[in-house]
Amino acid sequence: QLVSALHNLTRHVVYRGLTKPEDILALFPENFHQNLKNLLTKIILENISAWRNEAQASQISLPRLVDMDWRVDIKTSSDSISRMAVPTCLLQLKIQEDAALCGNNPVSALTVELSKETLDTMLEGLGRIRDQLSAVANK
Amino acid sequence: LSSQQFSALTEVLFRFLTEPKEVERFLTQLSDFATMNKISLGPLKNIVKSILLVPNGALKRNLSSEQVRADFIALGLSEEKASYFAEQWKLNSPALTRLAVDQTLMINQLIDMEWKFGVTAGSSELEKVGSIFLQLKLVIKKGSQMENVYIELTLPQFYSFLHEMERVKTSLESFS
Repeated sequence: QLVSALHNLTRHVVYRGLTKPEDILALFPENFHQNLKNLLTKIILENISAWRNEAQASQISLPRLVDMDWRVDIKTSSDSISRMAVPTCLLQLKIQEDAALCGNNPVSALTVELSKETLDTMLEGLGRIRDQLSAVANK
Repeated sequence: LSSQQFSALTEVLFRFLTEPKEVERFLTQLSDFATMNKISLGPLKNIVKSILLVPNGALKRNLSSEQVRADFIALGLSEEKASYFAEQWKLNSPALTRLAVDQTLMINQLIDMEWKFGVTAGSSELEKVGSIFLQLKLVIKKGSQMENVYIELTLPQFYSFLHEMERVKTSLESFS
Protein backbone atom coordinates (compact mmCIF):
# COMPACT_ATOMS: atom_id res chain seq x y z
CA GLN A 1 0.00 0.00 0.00
CA LEU A 2 2.92 2.24 0.83
CA VAL A 3 4.62 1.51 -2.49
CA SER A 4 1.42 2.16 -4.35
CA ALA A 5 0.93 5.47 -2.57
CA LEU A 6 4.50 6.54 -3.29
CA HIS A 7 4.02 5.55 -6.90
CA ASN A 8 0.92 7.66 -7.22
CA LEU A 9 2.65 10.59 -5.62
CA THR A 10 5.62 10.50 -7.94
CA ARG A 11 3.43 10.01 -10.99
CA HIS A 12 1.37 12.99 -10.00
CA VAL A 13 4.44 15.16 -9.55
CA VAL A 14 5.88 14.13 -12.89
CA TYR A 15 2.55 14.59 -14.62
CA ARG A 16 2.01 18.05 -13.28
CA GLY A 17 5.60 18.97 -13.86
CA LEU A 18 5.98 20.39 -10.40
CA THR A 19 9.45 21.71 -9.82
CA LYS A 20 9.14 23.95 -6.82
CA PRO A 21 9.46 22.34 -3.37
CA GLU A 22 6.50 24.35 -2.08
CA ASP A 23 4.21 22.74 -4.64
CA ILE A 24 5.31 19.29 -3.67
CA LEU A 25 5.09 20.04 0.04
CA ALA A 26 1.56 21.24 -0.51
CA LEU A 27 0.58 17.76 -1.67
CA PHE A 28 1.18 16.16 1.70
CA PRO A 29 -1.68 16.04 4.20
CA GLU A 30 -1.65 18.41 7.18
CA ASN A 31 -0.42 16.16 9.94
CA PHE A 32 2.33 14.44 7.96
CA HIS A 33 5.64 14.01 9.71
CA GLN A 34 7.73 17.12 8.93
CA ASN A 35 11.16 15.55 8.42
CA LEU A 36 9.77 12.74 6.34
CA LYS A 37 7.93 15.24 4.21
CA ASN A 38 11.12 17.21 3.56
CA LEU A 39 13.14 14.10 2.86
CA LEU A 40 10.60 12.80 0.38
CA THR A 41 10.39 16.16 -1.35
CA LYS A 42 14.15 16.33 -1.63
CA ILE A 43 14.37 12.85 -3.17
CA ILE A 44 11.55 13.56 -5.57
CA LEU A 45 13.14 16.79 -6.71
CA GLU A 46 16.43 15.06 -7.35
CA ASN A 47 14.87 12.44 -9.53
CA ILE A 48 12.25 14.45 -11.29
CA SER A 49 14.19 15.35 -14.41
CA ALA A 50 15.35 11.76 -14.90
CA TRP A 51 11.76 10.57 -14.56
CA ARG A 52 10.53 13.17 -16.99
CA ASN A 53 13.10 12.17 -19.58
CA GLU A 54 12.28 8.55 -19.22
CA ALA A 55 8.56 9.25 -19.58
CA GLN A 56 9.24 11.18 -22.74
CA ALA A 57 11.46 8.45 -24.13
CA SER A 58 8.83 5.78 -23.61
CA GLN A 59 5.99 7.86 -25.02
CA ILE A 60 3.95 6.28 -27.74
CA SER A 61 5.20 7.31 -31.10
CA LEU A 62 5.66 6.06 -34.60
CA PRO A 63 8.62 3.75 -35.07
CA ARG A 64 11.73 5.67 -34.16
CA LEU A 65 15.02 6.03 -35.94
CA VAL A 66 17.79 4.71 -33.74
CA ASP A 67 20.74 4.61 -36.09
CA MET A 68 21.68 5.31 -39.64
CA ASP A 69 24.52 4.19 -41.90
CA TRP A 70 25.37 4.87 -45.51
CA ARG A 71 27.70 3.76 -48.27
CA VAL A 72 28.32 4.88 -51.81
CA ASP A 73 28.71 2.27 -54.53
CA ILE A 74 29.62 2.63 -58.18
CA LYS A 75 27.73 0.40 -60.58
CA THR A 76 30.06 -0.74 -63.31
CA SER A 77 27.93 -3.10 -65.35
CA SER A 78 24.55 -4.76 -65.55
CA ASP A 79 22.68 -7.03 -67.88
CA SER A 80 21.37 -4.11 -69.86
CA ILE A 81 24.70 -2.30 -70.25
CA SER A 82 28.07 -3.90 -69.97
CA ARG A 83 30.08 -0.83 -69.08
CA MET A 84 29.02 2.16 -67.05
CA ALA A 85 30.09 4.13 -64.01
CA VAL A 86 27.00 5.17 -62.13
CA PRO A 87 27.35 6.12 -58.47
CA THR A 88 24.54 5.15 -56.19
CA CYS A 89 23.92 5.45 -52.47
CA LEU A 90 22.82 2.77 -50.04
CA LEU A 91 21.26 3.98 -46.83
CA GLN A 92 20.61 1.73 -43.87
CA LEU A 93 18.11 2.92 -41.28
CA LYS A 94 17.75 1.12 -37.96
CA ILE A 95 14.22 1.50 -36.82
CA GLN A 96 12.73 0.60 -33.47
CA GLU A 97 9.07 -0.16 -33.24
CA ASP A 98 6.90 1.47 -30.61
CA ALA A 99 8.48 0.67 -27.27
CA ALA A 100 5.21 0.00 -25.48
CA LEU A 101 3.93 -2.56 -27.94
CA CYS A 102 6.91 -4.84 -28.42
CA GLY A 103 8.14 -6.47 -25.25
CA ASN A 104 11.75 -6.78 -26.27
CA ASN A 105 12.00 -3.74 -28.58
CA PRO A 106 13.18 -5.39 -31.77
CA VAL A 107 15.22 -3.13 -33.97
CA SER A 108 14.72 -3.71 -37.65
CA ALA A 109 17.11 -2.58 -40.33
CA LEU A 110 15.82 -1.14 -43.56
CA THR A 111 18.18 -0.72 -46.49
CA VAL A 112 17.17 1.80 -49.10
CA GLU A 113 18.89 2.61 -52.36
CA LEU A 114 18.97 6.14 -53.73
CA SER A 115 20.12 7.42 -57.08
CA LYS A 116 21.78 10.79 -57.30
CA GLU A 117 18.57 12.46 -58.45
CA THR A 118 16.60 10.96 -55.57
CA LEU A 119 19.25 12.13 -53.14
CA ASP A 120 19.15 15.65 -54.53
CA THR A 121 15.38 15.80 -54.25
CA MET A 122 15.57 14.41 -50.73
CA LEU A 123 18.14 17.00 -49.71
CA GLU A 124 15.91 19.72 -51.12
CA GLY A 125 13.08 18.41 -48.97
CA LEU A 126 15.29 18.18 -45.89
CA GLY A 127 16.51 21.73 -46.50
CA ARG A 128 12.92 22.90 -46.59
CA ILE A 129 12.25 21.13 -43.30
CA ARG A 130 15.25 22.89 -41.78
CA ASP A 131 14.03 26.27 -42.99
CA GLN A 132 10.56 25.62 -41.65
CA LEU A 133 11.99 24.53 -38.32
CA SER A 134 14.08 27.67 -37.97
CA ALA A 135 11.08 29.79 -38.95
CA VAL A 136 9.06 28.17 -36.18
CA ALA A 137 11.90 28.51 -33.69
CA ASN A 138 12.37 32.19 -34.44
CA LYS A 139 8.74 33.14 -34.02
CA LEU B 1 13.52 -0.63 -99.99
CA SER B 2 14.15 2.91 -101.19
CA SER B 3 16.16 5.25 -99.06
CA GLN B 4 13.12 7.38 -98.26
CA GLN B 5 11.18 4.36 -97.07
CA PHE B 6 14.25 3.24 -95.14
CA SER B 7 14.55 6.54 -93.31
CA ALA B 8 10.85 6.44 -92.44
CA LEU B 9 11.25 2.91 -91.11
CA THR B 10 14.35 3.88 -89.14
CA GLU B 11 12.43 6.73 -87.57
CA VAL B 12 9.69 4.38 -86.47
CA LEU B 13 12.28 1.98 -85.05
CA PHE B 14 14.10 4.61 -83.01
CA ARG B 15 10.91 6.07 -81.67
CA PHE B 16 10.07 2.64 -80.35
CA LEU B 17 13.53 2.15 -78.89
CA THR B 18 13.39 5.43 -76.99
CA GLU B 19 9.93 4.66 -75.65
CA PRO B 20 9.83 0.89 -75.21
CA LYS B 21 6.50 1.03 -73.44
CA GLU B 22 4.69 2.27 -76.55
CA VAL B 23 4.38 -1.21 -78.03
CA GLU B 24 0.91 -0.67 -79.47
CA ARG B 25 1.90 2.54 -81.18
CA PHE B 26 4.94 0.84 -82.67
CA LEU B 27 2.84 -2.01 -84.07
CA THR B 28 0.27 0.41 -85.53
CA GLN B 29 3.01 2.46 -87.15
CA LEU B 30 4.56 -0.69 -88.59
CA SER B 31 1.30 -1.86 -90.16
CA ASP B 32 0.70 1.68 -91.52
CA PHE B 33 4.14 1.58 -93.08
CA ALA B 34 3.41 -1.84 -94.59
CA THR B 35 0.12 -0.76 -96.18
CA MET B 36 1.57 2.54 -97.41
CA ASN B 37 4.42 0.81 -99.17
CA LYS B 38 2.54 -2.27 -100.19
CA ILE B 39 4.75 -4.68 -98.26
CA SER B 40 3.16 -7.54 -96.44
CA LEU B 41 3.30 -7.22 -92.67
CA GLY B 42 4.69 -10.69 -91.84
CA PRO B 43 8.07 -10.45 -93.54
CA LEU B 44 8.33 -6.80 -92.50
CA LYS B 45 7.97 -7.83 -88.85
CA ASN B 46 10.71 -10.39 -89.26
CA ILE B 47 13.04 -7.87 -90.84
CA VAL B 48 12.31 -5.37 -88.12
CA LYS B 49 13.00 -7.97 -85.43
CA SER B 50 16.42 -8.70 -86.85
CA ILE B 51 17.14 -4.99 -87.28
CA LEU B 52 16.21 -4.34 -83.65
CA LEU B 53 18.76 -6.90 -82.51
CA VAL B 54 21.58 -4.69 -83.75
CA PRO B 55 20.88 -1.61 -81.59
CA ASN B 56 20.17 -3.75 -78.54
CA GLY B 57 23.44 -5.62 -78.90
CA ALA B 58 25.23 -2.34 -79.61
CA LEU B 59 23.83 -0.82 -76.42
CA LYS B 60 24.92 -3.76 -74.33
CA ARG B 61 28.43 -3.56 -75.66
CA ASN B 62 28.63 0.24 -75.81
CA LEU B 63 29.47 0.30 -79.52
CA SER B 64 30.33 3.54 -81.22
CA SER B 65 28.36 4.63 -84.27
CA GLU B 66 31.30 3.61 -86.46
CA GLN B 67 31.05 0.05 -85.20
CA VAL B 68 27.26 0.04 -85.69
CA ARG B 69 27.78 1.14 -89.27
CA ALA B 70 30.37 -1.59 -89.86
CA ASP B 71 28.02 -4.18 -88.36
CA PHE B 72 25.19 -3.21 -90.67
CA ILE B 73 27.44 -3.27 -93.73
CA ALA B 74 28.63 -6.72 -92.70
CA LEU B 75 24.99 -7.77 -92.53
CA GLY B 76 24.53 -6.76 -96.14
CA LEU B 77 22.97 -3.31 -95.94
CA SER B 78 24.02 -0.68 -98.46
CA GLU B 79 26.62 1.80 -97.29
CA GLU B 80 24.30 4.77 -97.58
CA LYS B 81 21.61 3.17 -95.45
CA ALA B 82 24.12 1.94 -92.90
CA SER B 83 25.55 5.46 -92.52
CA TYR B 84 22.07 6.88 -92.09
CA PHE B 85 21.30 4.36 -89.38
CA ALA B 86 24.60 5.01 -87.65
CA GLU B 87 23.84 8.75 -87.64
CA GLN B 88 20.47 8.16 -86.04
CA TRP B 89 22.16 5.88 -83.56
CA LYS B 90 24.61 8.59 -82.53
CA LEU B 91 21.76 11.04 -82.01
CA ASN B 92 19.71 8.65 -79.96
CA SER B 93 22.34 6.82 -77.96
CA PRO B 94 22.40 9.14 -74.93
CA ALA B 95 18.65 8.65 -74.50
CA LEU B 96 18.93 4.91 -75.05
CA THR B 97 21.85 4.59 -72.63
CA ARG B 98 19.91 6.51 -70.01
CA LEU B 99 16.99 4.11 -70.44
CA ALA B 100 19.23 1.10 -70.02
CA VAL B 101 20.83 2.55 -66.89
CA ASP B 102 17.43 3.28 -65.41
CA GLN B 103 16.47 -0.31 -65.97
CA THR B 104 19.40 -1.50 -63.89
CA LEU B 105 18.61 -3.35 -60.73
CA MET B 106 17.87 -1.16 -57.73
CA ILE B 107 17.30 -2.67 -54.34
CA ASN B 108 14.53 -1.11 -52.27
CA GLN B 109 14.52 2.03 -54.30
CA LEU B 110 13.32 5.17 -52.54
CA ILE B 111 10.48 6.60 -54.59
CA ASP B 112 9.01 9.37 -52.51
CA MET B 113 9.32 11.09 -49.17
CA GLU B 114 6.73 13.07 -47.23
CA TRP B 115 7.10 14.73 -43.88
CA LYS B 116 5.33 16.60 -41.17
CA PHE B 117 6.50 17.99 -37.90
CA GLY B 118 4.73 19.25 -34.88
CA VAL B 119 4.82 19.66 -31.19
CA THR B 120 3.83 17.06 -28.63
CA ALA B 121 1.41 18.87 -26.36
CA GLY B 122 0.81 16.36 -23.62
CA SER B 123 0.69 12.69 -22.82
CA SER B 124 -0.67 10.32 -20.23
CA GLU B 125 2.59 10.58 -18.30
CA LEU B 126 3.33 14.25 -18.61
CA GLU B 127 0.69 16.91 -18.65
CA LYS B 128 2.65 19.51 -20.56
CA VAL B 129 5.36 18.43 -22.91
CA GLY B 130 6.12 20.89 -25.71
CA SER B 131 8.76 18.90 -27.60
CA ILE B 132 9.16 18.94 -31.36
CA PHE B 133 8.96 15.77 -33.40
CA LEU B 134 9.51 15.12 -37.07
CA GLN B 135 7.71 12.34 -38.93
CA LEU B 136 8.92 11.03 -42.25
CA LYS B 137 7.05 8.79 -44.62
CA LEU B 138 9.28 6.99 -47.10
CA VAL B 139 7.74 5.23 -50.10
CA ILE B 140 9.97 2.33 -51.07
CA LYS B 141 9.68 0.00 -54.03
CA LYS B 142 10.22 -3.53 -52.75
CA GLY B 143 10.34 -5.81 -55.77
CA SER B 144 7.19 -4.81 -57.61
CA GLN B 145 5.25 -3.47 -54.63
CA MET B 146 5.33 -0.15 -52.89
CA GLU B 147 5.84 -0.08 -49.16
CA ASN B 148 5.32 2.88 -46.87
CA VAL B 149 7.74 3.29 -44.00
CA TYR B 150 6.95 5.74 -41.21
CA ILE B 151 9.72 7.01 -38.99
CA GLU B 152 9.85 9.53 -36.23
CA LEU B 153 12.95 11.57 -35.51
CA THR B 154 13.90 13.96 -32.77
CA LEU B 155 15.41 17.30 -33.72
CA PRO B 156 19.05 16.35 -33.03
CA GLN B 157 18.54 13.17 -35.06
CA PHE B 158 17.15 15.23 -37.91
CA TYR B 159 20.15 17.55 -37.95
CA SER B 160 22.63 14.71 -37.97
CA PHE B 161 20.60 12.96 -40.70
CA LEU B 162 20.76 16.12 -42.79
CA HIS B 163 24.49 16.39 -42.16
CA GLU B 164 25.09 12.77 -43.20
CA MET B 165 23.02 13.17 -46.36
CA GLU B 166 25.04 16.20 -47.34
CA ARG B 167 28.19 14.14 -46.91
CA VAL B 168 26.69 11.47 -49.17
CA LYS B 169 25.93 14.08 -51.79
CA THR B 170 29.53 15.36 -51.78
CA SER B 171 30.73 11.81 -52.09
CA LEU B 172 28.40 11.04 -55.01
CA GLU B 173 29.37 14.23 -56.74
CA SER B 174 33.05 13.45 -56.53
CA PHE B 175 32.36 10.24 -58.43
CA SER B 176 30.30 11.55 -61.32
